[in-house]
Amino acid sequence: MSIIDLTSMGESQTEIKKEINERLSKLQGEISDYCFQCAKCTSGCEAHKLLELEPHKIVALLKRGLIDEMVNSDVIWTCMSCFKCRERCPQKVAPVEILFALKNMAVASGKQIPGKYTAMLQSILSIGLIQDVQTVTTRDNKMKKREELGLPAVSKPIDAAKFQTVLSKLAVEKI
Amino acid sequence: MKKYVFYPGCVMSTEQYAYEMSIREILPKIDIELADVEGFSCCGAPMKSVNQLMTLYLSARNLSIAQKEGLGLFVPCPVCHLSFSECQRIMENNAEMRDRINGMLSSEDLQYNGSVNLVNIIDLLHDHVGIDKIKKLVKKPLENLKVATHYGCHLIRPSEVGRPVDSENPQKMETVLKALSAKPLDYAEKLDCCGAMIQANLPESALTKTGQKLVAVQEQGFDVFVDVCPWCHRMFDSKQTKAGETVAAKLDVPVVYLTQLLGLAFGIDKKRLGMDLNLSPVDKVKIGGK
Amino acid sequence: MSDKIGVFVCHCGINIASVVDVKRLAKYASNLDNVVVSKDYKYMCSDTGAKLIKESIKKHKLDGVVIACCSPRMHEHTFRGVVETGGVNAFNLEIANVREQCSWAHDDKERATQKAEALVRGAVAKARLLEPLERSKISVNPNALVVGGGISGIQASLDLADKGFKVYLVEKTPSIGGRMAQLDKTFPTLDCSACILTPKMMEVANHQNIELLTYSEIESVEGNIGNYTVKVKNKPRYVDMDKCTGCGDCVGACRMKDRISSEFDMGMGKRSAIYIPFPQAIPLKCTIDSENCLMITRGKCGKGPLCVEVCEADAIDFKQKEEIVELDVGSIIVATGYDLLDPASVYEYGYSRYDNVITTLEMERLISSSGPTVGDIVCPSNGENPKSITFVLCVGSRDETSCTWCCRIGCMSALKQVYLIKEKLGDDVEINVCYTDIRSFGKGYEEFYRKIRGQNTNFFRGKPSDVRKAEDHLKMDVFDTMTSKLFEINTDMVVLVPELVPRSDADDFTRVLHLSQSADGFYLEAHPKLRPMDTFTDGVFLAGCCQGPKDIQDSVSQASGAASRAANILSKKELEAEPQVACVDEDVCSGCGLCVSVCAYNAIELVEDDGRSHAKVTEALCKGCGACVGACPSGAMQQRGFKDKQILPMIRETV
Repeated sequence: MSIIDLTSMGESQTEIKKEINERLSKLQGEISDYCFQCAKCTSGCEAHKLLELEPHKIVALLKRGLIDEMVNSDVIWTCMSCFKCRERCPQKVAPVEILFALKNMAVASGKQIPGKYTAMLQSILSIGLIQDVQTVTTRDNKMKKREELGLPAVSKPIDAAKFQTVLSKLAVEKI
Repeated sequence: MKKYVFYPGCVMSTEQYAYEMSIREILPKIDIELADVEGFSCCGAPMKSVNQLMTLYLSARNLSIAQKEGLGLFVPCPVCHLSFSECQRIMENNAEMRDRINGMLSSEDLQYNGSVNLVNIIDLLHDHVGIDKIKKLVKKPLENLKVATHYGCHLIRPSEVGRPVDSENPQKMETVLKALSAKPLDYAEKLDCCGAMIQANLPESALTKTGQKLVAVQEQGFDVFVDVCPWCHRMFDSKQTKAGETVAAKLDVPVVYLTQLLGLAFGIDKKRLGMDLNLSPVDKVKIGGK
Repeated sequence: MSDKIGVFVCHCGINIASVVDVKRLAKYASNLDNVVVSKDYKYMCSDTGAKLIKESIKKHKLDGVVIACCSPRMHEHTFRGVVETGGVNAFNLEIANVREQCSWAHDDKERATQKAEALVRGAVAKARLLEPLERSKISVNPNALVVGGGISGIQASLDLADKGFKVYLVEKTPSIGGRMAQLDKTFPTLDCSACILTPKMMEVANHQNIELLTYSEIESVEGNIGNYTVKVKNKPRYVDMDKCTGCGDCVGACRMKDRISSEFDMGMGKRSAIYIPFPQAIPLKCTIDSENCLMITRGKCGKGPLCVEVCEADAIDFKQKEEIVELDVGSIIVATGYDLLDPASVYEYGYSRYDNVITTLEMERLISSSGPTVGDIVCPSNGENPKSITFVLCVGSRDETSCTWCCRIGCMSALKQVYLIKEKLGDDVEINVCYTDIRSFGKGYEEFYRKIRGQNTNFFRGKPSDVRKAEDHLKMDVFDTMTSKLFEINTDMVVLVPELVPRSDADDFTRVLHLSQSADGFYLEAHPKLRPMDTFTDGVFLAGCCQGPKDIQDSVSQASGAASRAANILSKKELEAEPQVACVDEDVCSGCGLCVSVCAYNAIELVEDDGRSHAKVTEALCKGCGACVGACPSGAMQQRGFKDKQILPMIRETV
């Protein structure tokens, strides 16, 4: 019949849950269903103390199919990708990968990407790297350029146009 | 002379020059030759939150370029190394993904044709070059220098894709450091994260992680903090002052790349190792009884 | 060979009859050659059905029977009995499976009925060629072997001995008692473990039917059910058992006193090279540890071994050698017990790094008054009483990256220890329990759990990610899902509740007895529900944790069960072997040995007769799997009841 979350009046989004589980299974060979909420992930989560991310809760909400409330939240962007949850989970669930899936979904649905990600993406599209080659400051406040340090030129995509075309097309595709 | 294709990654190439300098200085000494190859791009890891397909593509294209040289691929940046490792695993295990990615790669006249042998700085030193060889090159032993090692999350986890070191008790860096007569010691916060991955959207929280770890290291009286990742080093070294402000602590921890420390022990000139690019107080580090 | 065959078609209620036209089938059968009577009935396996078959046999003087019914796995055994009582040899019976292989597999009634006719046709063809077979007799040696002297082995031995059978109880360590001897109290009754165990141990020692072989190991087992020949290695104690009084003077005098890690104390305490494992040891004799004794390893001990000096009974004998004894038994019970998972493999919990992180069994030794601290619970690092102790449950268990199963006793052991610690250190001691689930499933268990909940214990529903050192104590963060809060626990001692795993030598021992193991490495039972103490080797039974983790009462139950199963065999003068075994035509056999190599039961060997070698089947070991028949290139190897000359016509007729 139906299962309704009385807090948010949200219904279980079983199709999207299936989609996410398929993606997890395809990429990592794991699905979220096996989680029994031991919370070892949250106990060790590098982002939890500062930013209140609860990886076990993310998994539990996924199991219930309450995807929208996560995609629309800010907390999914607090994950530090330390992979401790994936490493130590006794049931081989990977909250970190579920979070990547949710973040990807947020971006694909048109939500604003927080912070500098957009700038990094644009930089990749234009020069193939996440930022321009920088001039750095030494400890005694002198400015140094890369070439002044005797380092060779930075490796970049040879045919920039082809590279950009592929990436631009790819940017709107879903995994 | 063993030759590897060199993949430095974005952060090292555009900003963390000291790592690249010290790598290029010490590798010839341990009989490793690096081949610089044209055409690389970002490995895609920073884009995983935005679009993982893009990450896979970017990693796959770099692997395809490297593959053409028929050599192993030296990836000192652990973030890139993990992105490549994960990409190879997916390409090996999932024919559908592989075909899809290869379809896109052909637009750039590239193809992924099977795994490339990936090597990071730690397994290069510990497993391939070997401790004996390293020991013989030491001219200025790091006499009892109390070292705190920082491996970084992406180097040690997730172990199921295969990492160069153990995820819970990594000791390869310690073994190398002991060959230099240094005194590496375990500490409770050893496996803690630097926070770099949320620097892009939550800089204050990132700096808090950095500051918290440095405070712990400082309180335990370490002489030097050694890392192997440009992302981590950027936080611990370049942003140490900011991190200290964020956690309201006066931080004074010398932070060096492993390759810089090796270079110093091998007797290479400080400047050539980019030591003046370190913003942390590295002059405090006493080498060879000077 | 049968001329007068009766065919009996079962409706099986509607299971067969709703798809197959049973009346037509019976009529069809009646027209086949050599079929003199053909009947159908609703439930052939019932009393009425059996009566029908028996009366038909008598009336028509049948010498062969075909029953079209369900799978032979269901009722072949029953029907053999019926047929035999009716006066036909039990093996002149052929079953045509028209249920699982026909009515249950098809919808089309016409074609199903035609298929059933074909199956019956084939069955009749084989029935014509079946030969009467006699079950051969195996003599039974009424002695029993029990391997392992823990509570399971003790219980099984006592049950068998009380029934009047002679029991050899072989125990690897110097004393019987096993894990239970290491415990202080047992849950949920809080009985003193030694107090309830030692009377049983005494009974074993004094029982006229039990021969105790301690500090002994099983070298090899040959033979089959009813007749096993077991070689037992008696390891040298270097102490004359007849002279030693167990006074223990030597223990105190030993030059290696307090220098060797005590296995009984799980490494929490030390012992001498000559030792008695625990005060209530049976036999109460000393044993010299040959790996640590200076006299044995170096040939000299100072100016002379001190144990010899102080021993008034002159019992020390360094000239002792290992002995092999041979035992003949009819049945074997394996009760070899379990080990704890070494939590060093769950590195993040700090077991290998911090002295004050210990396991439940190690804590049990601290709590125990026969332990290294005489029952004083202290931190291993500094010998002081802890003010705070934290339990972490499910260490390495229910874990896809470690051991996947639940250890079954962890929750109750931890709760028990919480009670005992509070009893010893006072109610003020802070006790934290970090758990994922509390499994208090047994009789009295929930009541016990409730008691502990009411006793000022901090339960955290969550698993810590790691344990770290902080100044002079330990700390861990644990997310408590009950309050949805992260707690930092600062504690003096951490007790890890680790997984229960098979003994480290469990793998090796399987080769001695051809035991199978389940995926978790514990010995495999023949059926998890209906035959939990049988193995696939007839005559070999399992008792206790060697078959899977369980608590003491389940171990004792299983041990008594195994004893009863063993007694079923031992109480018979002889057993009957299934006659549908492999048999060799020695004249045709060329002795190529292919059959020997494919036999999984070691039932075939090559023997020399008049300069020719040929295969010989030990019928008692043969399981009738037919692998050798298939492998035999000359057709010399056949299986009784399934010979080529019986099966080939069956195939021809069926199609």
